[in-house]
Amino acid sequence: MAATAEAVTSPLPVAQSRWSPTAKGWAARLLVLVAIFGGVIWATAIVPQYWADRISLAVIFAIIGLSLNIVLGYLGQVSLGHHAFVGIAAFVSAYYVTEKAGCSAEKCSLGAFSAGLVFAILSGGAAAGLLGLVALRIKGLYLALITLSYGFMAERSIFEIPFLTRGGAGMPAPRPEGFTTDRAFAFLCFIFLALVIFVDWRMIKSKVGRAVLSIKHSEPVAASYGINVTAYKCMAFILSGMFAGLAGGLLAFRATNVVSNDFNFANALLWVLMVVVGGLGNRTGVVIGSAFFALFPFLIELIGPLDKFVSGTLNRNPAEFTPVIGAALAILTIIRFPGGIAEQLSPITRWLGGKRFSMHPDGGHGDAHSPKKTVLSKLGLHKGEAEAATDASSEEIRNDEEPNLAGQPEEPAGVSGREDS
Amino acid sequence: MGAVLEVKNTGIRFGGLVALDDVNVNVPEWEIVGLIGPNGAGKTTLFNCIMGAYAPNTGSISFRGRDISLLPTHRRTALGIGRTFQNIGLIRGLSVLENFMVAQHPRIGYGAIGALLGAPRSFAEERKLKANALEVLDFIGLAHLADSQLDGLPYGTLKLIEVGTVLATDPDLLLLDEPSSGMGPDEAHEFGERLLRLRQMLNLTVLMIEHHVPLVVGVCDYVYVLNFGKVLTEGKPQEVRSHPEVIAAYLGGEVEQEEQEEGAGVAS
Repeated sequence: MAATAEAVTSPLPVAQSRWSPTAKGWAARLLVLVAIFGGVIWATAIVPQYWADRISLAVIFAIIGLSLNIVLGYLGQVSLGHHAFVGIAAFVSAYYVTEKAGCSAEKCSLGAFSAGLVFAILSGGAAAGLLGLVALRIKGLYLALITLSYGFMAERSIFEIPFLTRGGAGMPAPRPEGFTTDRAFAFLCFIFLALVIFVDWRMIKSKVGRAVLSIKHSEPVAASYGINVTAYKCMAFILSGMFAGLAGGLLAFRATNVVSNDFNFANALLWVLMVVVGGLGNRTGVVIGSAFFALFPFLIELIGPLDKFVSGTLNRNPAEFTPVIGAALAILTIIRFPGGIAEQLSPITRWLGGKRFSMHPDGGHGDAHSPKKTVLSKLGLHKGEAEAATDASSEEIRNDEEPNLAGQPEEPAGVSGREDS
Repeated sequence: MGAVLEVKNTGIRFGGLVALDDVNVNVPEWEIVGLIGPNGAGKTTLFNCIMGAYAPNTGSISFRGRDISLLPTHRRTALGIGRTFQNIGLIRGLSVLENFMVAQHPRIGYGAIGALLGAPRSFAEERKLKANALEVLDFIGLAHLADSQLDGLPYGTLKLIEVGTVLATDPDLLLLDEPSSGMGPDEAHEFGERLLRLRQMLNLTVLMIEHHVPLVVGVCDYVYVLNFGKVLTEGKPQEVRSHPEVIAAYLGGEVEQEEQEEGAGVAS
């Protein structure tokens, strides 16, 4: 009691004046940004065509990563069924351009391609919205199970409809005129990634993002702030599904032939891993992590001795090797670096964002996450603990605490205990 | 004066446990009504029913004559009911300023889709929102904490921020759940004066769960005593204080405890 009283009277932290860089400082930041983005674009422009194809895969993975990040990072729920959204959208767009718009490998109009992508986005959003309705009442482990079965269900049902998927042969998805080369298609993917990043940025900077983040931290508090919890949860799932749908459509046109084997649970798991390794809730980290996971097999090929080891000694295809490394990286991230790549890069990204350069991992104001928390708590998987605590304090339930809240009423740090309800 | 909040014959049970049983509470315009009772009496449960977190099994709840029993929580907030929580209802993970921005959510003048597509209106509104939030922060004297994260702020400051954010939702009726918990006697007294001033300035009506007897006697116009989910008695604070059943059920023990705490406070 005395301790809390002391906390009340202790002086408030001294006001921090807002620091902002000089004109020279801004110029330096701009230069670095231009160098980074220019470098990526320039690399895409000069590498051989087959490398441009790999870059387009990395860009599409980044879109998938941002899609998962909405559910995983912002909303704090688990989705292990993202391959369903991506796959459904891939088949829908391929089906549209081939069967409805009459495209062939020789000729496919830009209009048909755009309409195909729109249908991909809509079908991805619809598929995710359906799951979102289920997710309204379920969270944690059970939601993970539901999304997992949703993915399997899509694999076993929708991905096996003959007219949509043409069985094992796959549904052709010819690229549109002007974008038939791998390089042109990679640039097209960059444009879509930019659009996705823009929407994601506006989401976080507007009431939508604040509402979703509030729901992740505490539904009762969010509701009492006047947020329609149901609607925003659904919206988060639908938006995630729309991004995934866009990525699915692009994957279809990248491969130019969609086969159902391309969308299985192993992919969904890999996507979750790349978001965790990239840094939950952090846009930059997720994009970098996703691109890394997409390019990893090719990086192995690039490094001669490593390639020899993987394909010779281990007798493994480098692509098959990605989940192994992914799992190892995810474990390392969860145990040692909960903020993922994003946290390791935060001194640089913060500096680029106009803050003072500091090596401190948090620097005062992190992104949408606090690095002190573990990945598990960000995912809301520590629910089990909270429930155990509630059981232990059944006395307290009778004492008219809300049964689903297990916080200690007089904890000095105060804000805890509400986040799970 | 008409009642702002009318709780009629409200009852709720969790399995075999009757948490509230035929509770009637009336909160008239511009009054500060206290809700007291020992632990487990059902006070917070009643708040949860009023806010729509729980759906009562019986009875009705009306706000300014309108039955709100079936409305979801966010609609009740939009109508003008604000609520604080026992363990500080703030969004950890958002900064202090962002918490004040979230609190203005229902009154934000742009649509979600416009926001996602980057409509110019959303940019302008965001600036306005930020300015409003800074103004409220300035008003409660915490402008210097705008960019701080909540983790690590002192308990009393968090309590103040919580009340501030609830005020930012623009309530007519304020539900305060043990606002003075964690405060010493002096701070509780000061809080009471602040509350009276706030009522004057913002035209607030208040329903307040409170254990601190001097605060209840000091600011409340009327008091309901809850025990085992039922209204034990009601009346002016002074009358209730001397009610034999209340003393037996609650106040006697509490007053003693209160004195001990004050003693401890002096000693530390």
